[in-house]
Amino acid sequence: MKLHHPRSIDEAVSLLGKDGEARCLAGGATLVAMMNADLLAPSGLVSLRDVETLKGISIEADGTAVIGAMTNHVTIAEATEFDSGQSVVARAAAVIGHPAIRNMGTIGGAIAHADSAADYPAALLAADAVICVAGADGAREIPAGDFFVDYLETALEEGELVTSVRIPAAPAGSVAAYEKFARVEGDFATVSVAVMLQENDGAIDDIRLAVGACAPVPIRSPDAEQILRRDGVSDTSIAAACEHLAALADPVDDFRGSGGYRLKLIPVLVARAIEAARNGGAE
Amino acid sequence: MNAPVDRVWEFMMDPDRMAPCVPGCSDVEVLGENKYRANVKVAVGPIKTSFKVSVELTEQNAPTYAASVTRGEEGGKASMLTANSELRLTSVNSDETEVYYLSEVSLVGRLGKFGLGMMKKKAKAIGEEFAESFRIQIETPANRAKVG
Amino acid sequence: MSEKIPLSLTVNGQTHQAFVRPTDTLLHVLRDEFHLTGTKRGCNQGICGACTVMVDGKIVRGCLSIATNCTNREITTIEGIEADGNLSPIQQAFLESGAAQCGFCTPGMVMAATALARTNDKLSDDQIREGLSGNLCRCSGYIKIVDAVRSVCGGDAV
Repeated sequence: MKLHHPRSIDEAVSLLGKDGEARCLAGGATLVAMMNADLLAPSGLVSLRDVETLKGISIEADGTAVIGAMTNHVTIAEATEFDSGQSVVARAAAVIGHPAIRNMGTIGGAIAHADSAADYPAALLAADAVICVAGADGAREIPAGDFFVDYLETALEEGELVTSVRIPAAPAGSVAAYEKFARVEGDFATVSVAVMLQENDGAIDDIRLAVGACAPVPIRSPDAEQILRRDGVSDTSIAAACEHLAALADPVDDFRGSGGYRLKLIPVLVARAIEAARNGGAE
Repeated sequence: MNAPVDRVWEFMMDPDRMAPCVPGCSDVEVLGENKYRANVKVAVGPIKTSFKVSVELTEQNAPTYAASVTRGEEGGKASMLTANSELRLTSVNSDETEVYYLSEVSLVGRLGKFGLGMMKKKAKAIGEEFAESFRIQIETPANRAKVG
Repeated sequence: MSEKIPLSLTVNGQTHQAFVRPTDTLLHVLRDEFHLTGTKRGCNQGICGACTVMVDGKIVRGCLSIATNCTNREITTIEGIEADGNLSPIQQAFLESGAAQCGFCTPGMVMAATALARTNDKLSDDQIREGLSGNLCRCSGYIKIVDAVRSVCGGDAV
């Protein structure tokens, strides 16, 4: 078992290609926890800590935010570069685990793990993010909606790693919020809702609503969004919209809550998230 | 299922026909009357493992009812599962059978600790895959034509 | 089985060396190889915070850090918080407030509180609790712990 320290993406890809059972080591917050729990025993570790091109946040000319895979949650949470709509991703990063975890964990590592109750997936889906990936066959881009496939399963093929996450500029005047319901601070979500919203004189021009922790992958319903765009925000329209979201949900029963309880939480959190977004994302 | 109840029962009680329908199942052994052993590979994302499983039929009332107990363990007793299952077959007509299957699964050990809710969903998904494979198997014309 | 490889780490300003397995955690190496046993092992899953140390000035979980991945970093443990034999302000405050009962969570709490105090010297109680939310105290000594941190960097929120 070896720990490698490649200095470039190509070197990392090459190392992964040589050993099918080797895994990337990003922040280690999840991988090492799983190794400690005897769930994984990789034959090799490819540490990405020295691949400089994987770090940092930049904004392109058209407003697209590009977040390097090895960027820590704390950096994303405190970033000032995002526009008001893109900030949904920063708001999700801010509530991941605890301060020490946010210092260690990375967006690339988190999404590659694809825990169904994690915070980035719903935020990235609401933001129409695109995941950039590199492998032996070259680089490719995967929309967030196609990236998360099942519990702990992504569209990454063997030997591929996440290199960055691209978030398109949000429609002008968008506001966003990430509403997470957890038993205690720092826990995984029982249910979470990410919303990005663009309003004009009380009429909703654009709304994106993603629900996390209620299915193997984050969920979005075009029908739900259409109802809110057409009818505006009210208890009735939210209830109608959430019926569509509930139809796509398949929540687990576990110690964080029963499936039935989670379904009940969806409309409550949707309402709170929209209100929070309207209030500038604050609670 | 589009098959007569006797055919479905016969299929269910034949490990050589049942086992290939269970995802990841291999090395089926008949240990004795109503006792079987097999290996079942399971994968949840990056966690890949296999369970040594033994199944014992505890009650039978051909061709409509069977109860069984399944015990499985990962190598080194890392996780252990127990399942109490019931199978009820009801003849709808001469070519159709309603299959009712209930299984209570308990899982302890490293997989149960890691994410029991998710494991339960995975177990359900495996059950659904099995049912679909079984239905395809039993409904193919070649199998239909076989005489019991 | 993994072969052991030589490892050199800088901890509290000093160089420590040992032969370790490539996958040994920083927590294991600090305690069992370098004999710096102030850092504690609690859950070994990154939740309880007893293993909190600093790497390049930021708090991290020792149990989730791979030791061989911490080369060329400044690692700080609880042993490095006092200066020239003098307790730090946070340590002194813990002592005076009676913030340690069994003491098991205390090193991790002091590390987290030290990092927190560096961010701001006028933290509200909510901000203090949030900053310490990654550290569990099974004695439920939280009130005294918050008292201690407040006495060093608490005040009306900015």
